[in-house]
Amino acid sequence: MKTAAIVPAFNEAESLPDVLQEIKQAFPEHLIVVVDDGSTDGTSEIAKEFGCVCLSMPFNLGIGGALRLGFRYCNEKEIERAYQFDADGQHDPTQISLLLSGLQKADMVIGSRFSEENSYEVGRSRKTAMSFLRFLIRLSTGHKFTDTSSGFRAFNKPVIGLFSEEYPLEYMDSVEAILIAVKNGFNVREIPVQMRERSAGQPSNRNFRLIYYFLRLLIVIFVGSRRKTEGKA
Amino acid sequence: MSSSTHILIAVLALGAFFLIVRLVRLKVLKAKYSILWLTVGSGLAIVSAVPQILDWAAERLDIWYQPTLFLLLGIGFLLLLCMHFSYELSRMENRIRTLVEEIALLKEKLEKEN
Repeated sequence: MKTAAIVPAFNEAESLPDVLQEIKQAFPEHLIVVVDDGSTDGTSEIAKEFGCVCLSMPFNLGIGGALRLGFRYCNEKEIERAYQFDADGQHDPTQISLLLSGLQKADMVIGSRFSEENSYEVGRSRKTAMSFLRFLIRLSTGHKFTDTSSGFRAFNKPVIGLFSEEYPLEYMDSVEAILIAVKNGFNVREIPVQMRERSAGQPSNRNFRLIYYFLRLLIVIFVGSRRKTEGKA
Repeated sequence: MSSSTHILIAVLALGAFFLIVRLVRLKVLKAKYSILWLTVGSGLAIVSAVPQILDWAAERLDIWYQPTLFLLLGIGFLLLLCMHFSYELSRMENRIRTLVEEIALLKEKLEKEN
Protein backbone atom coordinates (compact mmCIF):
# COMPACT_ATOMS: atom_id res chain seq x y z
CA MET A 1 0.00 0.00 0.00
CA LYS A 2 1.41 3.38 -0.98
CA THR A 3 1.95 5.30 2.23
CA ALA A 4 3.24 8.83 2.68
CA ALA A 5 4.36 10.93 5.61
CA ILE A 6 3.44 14.59 5.37
CA VAL A 7 5.90 16.68 7.35
CA PRO A 8 5.08 20.40 7.45
CA ALA A 9 8.18 22.37 8.39
CA PHE A 10 8.74 26.04 9.05
CA ASN A 11 12.32 26.81 10.07
CA GLU A 12 12.92 23.39 11.57
CA ALA A 13 16.47 22.83 10.30
CA GLU A 14 17.55 21.94 13.82
CA SER A 15 15.17 19.09 14.52
CA LEU A 16 14.31 17.96 10.99
CA PRO A 17 17.38 15.73 10.31
CA ASP A 18 16.66 13.51 13.31
CA VAL A 19 12.98 13.30 12.47
CA LEU A 20 13.61 12.32 8.84
CA GLN A 21 16.33 9.87 9.84
CA GLU A 22 14.00 8.16 12.28
CA ILE A 23 11.10 7.83 9.86
CA LYS A 24 13.39 6.51 7.12
CA GLN A 25 14.91 3.98 9.43
CA ALA A 26 11.60 2.72 10.72
CA PHE A 27 9.72 2.78 7.41
CA PRO A 28 12.06 2.90 4.40
CA GLU A 29 9.13 2.16 2.08
CA HIS A 30 7.18 5.28 3.09
CA LEU A 31 7.32 8.33 0.86
CA ILE A 32 8.29 11.33 2.96
CA VAL A 33 6.82 14.62 1.78
CA VAL A 34 8.38 17.62 3.49
CA VAL A 35 6.39 20.80 2.96
CA ASP A 36 8.72 23.73 3.51
CA ASP A 37 6.49 26.60 4.55
CA GLY A 38 8.75 29.41 3.40
CA SER A 39 11.66 28.58 5.71
CA THR A 40 14.79 30.72 5.69
CA ASP A 41 17.11 28.35 7.52
CA GLY A 42 17.78 25.74 4.84
CA THR A 43 14.99 23.39 5.83
CA SER A 44 14.34 22.38 2.24
CA GLU A 45 18.04 21.62 1.60
CA ILE A 46 17.95 19.17 4.49
CA ALA A 47 14.84 17.52 3.10
CA LYS A 48 16.52 17.11 -0.29
CA GLU A 49 19.69 15.73 1.31
CA PHE A 50 17.61 12.99 2.85
CA GLY A 51 16.09 12.22 -0.53
CA CYS A 52 12.62 13.28 0.52
CA VAL A 53 10.06 14.92 -1.70
CA CYS A 54 10.39 18.59 -0.88
CA LEU A 55 7.61 21.03 -1.69
CA SER A 56 8.86 24.50 -0.95
CA MET A 57 6.53 27.44 -0.87
CA PRO A 58 7.82 30.88 -1.79
CA PHE A 59 6.53 32.41 1.45
CA ASN A 60 4.98 31.37 4.71
CA LEU A 61 1.34 30.34 4.49
CA GLY A 62 0.90 28.78 7.91
CA ILE A 63 0.52 25.14 8.82
CA GLY A 64 -2.93 24.83 7.25
CA GLY A 65 -1.64 25.90 3.86
CA ALA A 66 1.37 23.62 4.14
CA LEU A 67 -0.81 20.64 4.99
CA ARG A 68 -3.24 21.30 2.19
CA LEU A 69 -0.33 21.31 -0.24
CA GLY A 70 0.86 18.01 1.23
CA PHE A 71 -2.59 16.50 0.74
CA ARG A 72 -2.76 17.85 -2.76
CA TYR A 73 0.55 16.21 -3.64
CA CYS A 74 -0.55 12.89 -2.12
CA ASN A 75 -3.83 13.10 -3.98
CA GLU A 76 -2.08 13.68 -7.30
CA LYS A 77 0.32 10.79 -6.67
CA GLU A 78 -2.58 8.53 -5.71
CA ILE A 79 -1.21 7.78 -2.27
CA GLU A 80 -3.50 5.34 -0.49
CA ARG A 81 -2.84 6.43 3.06
CA ALA A 82 -0.94 9.29 4.60
CA TYR A 83 0.01 10.45 8.03
CA GLN A 84 0.87 13.85 9.36
CA PHE A 85 4.09 14.06 11.34
CA ASP A 86 5.53 17.12 13.08
CA ALA A 87 9.03 18.26 12.21
CA ASP A 88 9.80 19.46 15.73
CA GLY A 89 10.45 15.99 17.08
CA GLN A 90 7.48 15.74 19.39
CA HIS A 91 6.04 12.73 17.60
CA ASP A 92 7.42 9.28 18.17
CA PRO A 93 8.06 7.20 15.01
CA THR A 94 7.49 3.98 16.93
CA GLN A 95 3.84 5.01 17.18
CA ILE A 96 3.31 5.29 13.42
CA SER A 97 2.25 1.69 12.83
CA LEU A 98 -0.18 1.96 15.72
CA LEU A 99 -1.66 5.07 14.12
CA LEU A 100 -1.88 3.49 10.67
CA SER A 101 -3.52 0.35 12.02
CA GLY A 102 -6.37 2.55 13.16
CA LEU A 103 -7.23 3.18 9.50
CA GLN A 104 -8.65 -0.33 9.25
CA LYS A 105 -11.63 0.82 11.24
CA ALA A 106 -11.77 4.54 10.45
CA ASP A 107 -11.18 7.04 7.65
CA MET A 108 -9.15 9.38 9.79
CA VAL A 109 -7.20 8.55 12.95
CA ILE A 110 -6.00 11.05 15.52
CA GLY A 111 -3.14 10.07 17.77
CA SER A 112 -4.19 11.52 21.08
CA ARG A 113 -1.75 12.51 23.76
CA PHE A 114 -4.32 12.97 26.49
CA SER A 115 -4.83 9.46 27.60
CA GLU A 116 -4.29 7.59 30.82
CA GLU A 117 -1.14 5.92 29.68
CA ASN A 118 1.05 8.96 29.37
CA SER A 119 1.63 12.06 31.37
CA TYR A 120 1.93 15.10 29.17
CA GLU A 121 1.66 18.30 31.16
CA VAL A 122 0.00 21.36 29.63
CA GLY A 123 -0.67 24.83 30.99
CA ARG A 124 -3.91 25.69 32.74
CA SER A 125 -5.32 28.26 30.34
CA ARG A 126 -4.60 26.00 27.45
CA LYS A 127 -6.28 23.17 29.28
CA THR A 128 -9.41 25.23 29.91
CA ALA A 129 -9.46 26.38 26.31
CA MET A 130 -9.15 22.85 25.07
CA SER A 131 -11.92 21.49 27.23
CA PHE A 132 -14.19 24.20 25.88
CA LEU A 133 -13.21 23.23 22.36
CA ARG A 134 -13.90 19.59 23.09
CA PHE A 135 -17.33 20.57 24.31
CA LEU A 136 -18.06 22.57 21.16
CA ILE A 137 -16.91 19.78 18.93
CA ARG A 138 -18.97 17.26 20.80
CA LEU A 139 -21.91 19.56 20.42
CA SER A 140 -21.54 19.89 16.68
CA THR A 141 -20.36 16.42 15.71
CA GLY A 142 -21.88 14.24 18.39
CA HIS A 143 -18.48 12.63 18.90
CA LYS A 144 -16.10 12.94 21.78
CA PHE A 145 -12.50 13.88 21.15
CA THR A 146 -9.94 14.31 23.88
CA ASP A 147 -7.09 15.86 21.90
CA THR A 148 -8.39 18.01 19.09
CA SER A 149 -5.14 19.81 18.43
CA SER A 150 -2.95 16.78 18.00
CA GLY A 151 -0.98 16.95 14.76
CA PHE A 152 -0.29 13.23 14.73
CA ARG A 153 -2.94 11.93 12.35
CA ALA A 154 -3.50 9.36 9.65
CA PHE A 155 -5.84 9.58 6.68
CA ASN A 156 -7.17 7.18 4.07
CA LYS A 157 -7.49 7.96 0.38
CA PRO A 158 -10.95 9.57 0.37
CA VAL A 159 -9.98 11.87 3.24
CA ILE A 160 -6.77 12.84 1.44
CA GLY A 161 -8.96 13.74 -1.53
CA LEU A 162 -11.25 15.85 0.62
CA PHE A 163 -8.42 17.67 2.38
CA SER A 164 -6.54 18.34 -0.83
CA GLU A 165 -9.30 20.82 -1.58
CA GLU A 166 -11.01 21.59 1.68
CA TYR A 167 -8.29 21.63 4.29
CA PRO A 168 -8.85 24.69 6.51
CA LEU A 169 -6.17 27.29 5.90
CA GLU A 170 -6.53 29.48 8.93
CA TYR A 171 -5.27 29.16 12.45
CA MET A 172 -6.78 26.28 14.44
CA ASP A 173 -6.89 24.17 11.31
CA SER A 174 -6.54 20.98 13.34
CA VAL A 175 -9.90 21.43 15.02
CA GLU A 176 -11.66 22.60 11.90
CA ALA A 177 -10.28 19.63 9.97
CA ILE A 178 -12.06 17.24 12.34
CA LEU A 179 -15.31 19.12 11.84
CA ILE A 180 -14.97 19.06 8.08
CA ALA A 181 -14.20 15.34 7.99
CA VAL A 182 -17.12 14.47 10.26
CA LYS A 183 -19.52 16.70 8.38
CA ASN A 184 -18.53 15.04 5.13
CA GLY A 185 -19.57 11.71 6.57
CA PHE A 186 -16.16 10.30 7.43
CA ASN A 187 -15.48 8.17 10.44
CA VAL A 188 -12.93 9.94 12.64
CA ARG A 189 -11.39 7.98 15.50
CA GLU A 190 -8.99 8.78 18.22
CA ILE A 191 -6.38 6.40 19.56
CA PRO A 192 -4.00 6.93 22.49
CA VAL A 193 -0.32 7.32 21.56
CA GLN A 194 2.92 8.13 23.32
CA MET A 195 4.40 11.52 22.60
CA ARG A 196 7.62 13.25 23.48
CA GLU A 197 8.17 16.70 24.84
CA ARG A 198 8.84 19.27 22.16
CA SER A 199 12.54 19.25 21.38
CA ALA A 200 12.60 22.67 19.77
CA GLY A 201 10.31 25.57 19.10
CA GLN A 202 7.39 27.08 20.95
CA PRO A 203 3.90 25.61 21.28
CA SER A 204 1.83 27.32 18.64
CA ASN A 205 -1.16 28.16 20.83
CA ARG A 206 -1.05 31.52 22.52
CA ASN A 207 -3.57 32.83 24.98
CA PHE A 208 -4.34 36.15 23.38
CA ARG A 209 -5.37 34.43 20.21
CA LEU A 210 -7.81 32.13 21.93
CA ILE A 211 -10.73 34.52 21.90
CA TYR A 212 -10.34 35.08 18.19
CA TYR A 213 -10.14 31.32 17.79
CA PHE A 214 -13.33 30.62 19.55
CA LEU A 215 -15.29 33.25 17.71
CA ARG A 216 -14.09 31.85 14.42
CA LEU A 217 -14.80 28.29 15.44
CA LEU A 218 -18.24 29.21 16.66
CA ILE A 219 -18.91 30.66 13.25
CA VAL A 220 -17.53 27.58 11.55
CA ILE A 221 -19.60 25.29 13.74
CA PHE A 222 -22.88 27.10 13.62
CA VAL A 223 -22.90 28.73 10.23
CA GLY A 224 -22.13 25.39 8.64
CA SER A 225 -18.82 24.09 7.52
CA ARG A 226 -19.43 23.07 3.95
CA ARG A 227 -17.56 26.04 2.66
CA LYS A 228 -16.41 26.30 -0.88
CA THR A 229 -12.73 26.55 -1.51
CA GLU A 230 -11.37 28.75 -4.24
CA GLY A 231 -9.70 26.36 -6.72
CA LYS A 232 -13.07 25.72 -8.26
CA ALA A 233 -14.26 29.33 -8.05
CA MET B 1 -29.01 73.91 1.36
CA SER B 2 -27.00 77.09 1.15
CA SER B 3 -25.28 78.08 -2.07
CA SER B 4 -21.80 77.76 -0.61
CA THR B 5 -22.54 74.09 0.13
CA HIS B 6 -23.56 73.70 -3.51
CA ILE B 7 -20.33 75.12 -4.70
CA LEU B 8 -18.35 72.88 -2.35
CA ILE B 9 -20.17 69.75 -3.52
CA ALA B 10 -19.85 70.80 -7.16
CA VAL B 11 -16.10 71.35 -6.80
CA LEU B 12 -15.66 68.00 -5.02
CA ALA B 13 -17.71 66.15 -7.63
CA LEU B 14 -15.75 67.73 -10.45
CA GLY B 15 -12.45 66.96 -8.73
CA ALA B 16 -13.47 63.33 -8.17
CA PHE B 17 -14.52 63.01 -11.79
CA PHE B 18 -11.18 64.20 -13.14
CA LEU B 19 -9.25 62.06 -10.67
CA ILE B 20 -11.15 58.93 -11.78
CA VAL B 21 -10.65 59.66 -15.45
CA ARG B 22 -6.96 60.25 -14.85
CA LEU B 23 -6.53 57.03 -12.87
CA VAL B 24 -8.28 55.01 -15.56
CA ARG B 25 -6.14 56.55 -18.28
CA LEU B 26 -3.01 55.74 -16.29
CA LYS B 27 -4.36 52.17 -16.08
CA VAL B 28 -4.08 52.14 -12.29
CA LEU B 29 -7.80 51.70 -11.78
CA LYS B 30 -9.61 48.76 -13.26
CA ALA B 31 -12.49 49.64 -15.55
CA LYS B 32 -15.12 48.01 -13.33
CA TYR B 33 -14.18 50.28 -10.46
CA SER B 34 -14.02 53.31 -12.68
CA ILE B 35 -17.63 52.72 -13.72
CA LEU B 36 -18.61 52.53 -10.07
CA TRP B 37 -16.83 55.71 -9.12
CA LEU B 38 -17.96 57.58 -12.20
CA THR B 39 -21.54 56.71 -11.27
CA VAL B 40 -20.96 58.04 -7.79
CA GLY B 41 -19.34 61.15 -9.23
CA SER B 42 -22.23 61.83 -11.61
CA GLY B 43 -24.71 61.27 -8.78
CA LEU B 44 -22.91 63.86 -6.71
CA ALA B 45 -22.81 66.25 -9.63
CA ILE B 46 -26.54 65.90 -10.26
CA VAL B 47 -27.38 66.46 -6.62
CA SER B 48 -25.18 69.51 -6.42
CA ALA B 49 -26.62 70.96 -9.64
CA VAL B 50 -30.26 70.28 -8.75
CA PRO B 51 -30.46 70.19 -4.96
CA GLN B 52 -34.24 70.14 -5.16
CA ILE B 53 -34.02 66.43 -5.92
CA LEU B 54 -32.59 65.78 -2.48
CA ASP B 55 -35.16 68.02 -0.79
CA TRP B 56 -37.99 66.33 -2.67
CA ALA B 57 -36.77 62.82 -1.83
CA ALA B 58 -36.27 63.71 1.83
CA GLU B 59 -39.77 65.09 2.01
CA ARG B 60 -41.26 61.93 0.51
CA LEU B 61 -39.37 59.85 3.08
CA ASP B 62 -40.47 62.09 5.98
CA ILE B 63 -36.94 63.21 6.68
CA TRP B 64 -37.04 66.69 8.21
CA TYR B 65 -33.43 67.57 7.88
CA GLN B 66 -32.54 66.92 4.24
CA PRO B 67 -28.76 66.39 4.52
CA THR B 68 -29.51 63.35 6.69
CA LEU B 69 -30.71 61.55 3.59
CA PHE B 70 -27.49 62.37 1.84
CA LEU B 71 -25.41 61.05 4.77
CA LEU B 72 -27.56 57.95 5.08
CA LEU B 73 -27.12 57.08 1.43
CA GLY B 74 -23.41 57.83 1.62
CA ILE B 75 -22.80 55.62 4.64
CA GLY B 76 -24.93 52.82 3.20
CA PHE B 77 -22.97 52.94 -0.02
CA LEU B 78 -19.63 52.89 1.79
CA LEU B 79 -20.66 49.90 3.90
CA LEU B 80 -21.69 47.97 0.82
CA LEU B 81 -18.44 48.86 -0.84
CA CYS B 82 -16.44 47.67 2.17
CA MET B 83 -18.27 44.37 2.10
CA HIS B 84 -17.53 44.00 -1.56
CA PHE B 85 -13.85 44.65 -0.93
CA SER B 86 -13.77 42.07 1.87
CA TYR B 87 -15.24 39.58 -0.54
CA GLU B 88 -12.72 40.44 -3.22
CA LEU B 89 -9.85 40.25 -0.73
CA SER B 90 -10.89 36.80 0.48
CA ARG B 91 -11.14 35.59 -3.06
CA MET B 92 -7.75 36.99 -3.96
CA GLU B 93 -6.17 35.44 -0.87
CA ASN B 94 -7.56 32.05 -1.86
CA ARG B 95 -6.29 32.47 -5.37
CA ILE B 96 -2.82 33.42 -4.14
CA ARG B 97 -2.72 30.34 -1.94
CA THR B 98 -3.70 28.12 -4.80
CA LEU B 99 -0.99 29.71 -6.93
CA VAL B 100 1.59 29.16 -4.22
CA GLU B 101 0.61 25.50 -4.06
CA GLU B 102 0.89 25.19 -7.78
CA ILE B 103 4.31 26.84 -7.81
CA ALA B 104 5.61 24.48 -5.14
CA LEU B 105 4.31 21.43 -7.01
CA LEU B 106 5.80 22.62 -10.30
CA LYS B 107 9.14 23.41 -8.67
CA GLU B 108 9.30 19.90 -7.26
CA LYS B 109 8.48 18.37 -10.63
CA LEU B 110 11.10 20.49 -12.34
CA GLU B 111 13.83 19.62 -9.86
CA LYS B 112 13.08 15.95 -10.22
CA GLU B 113 13.41 16.11 -13.99
CA ASN B 114 16.77 17.83 -13.89
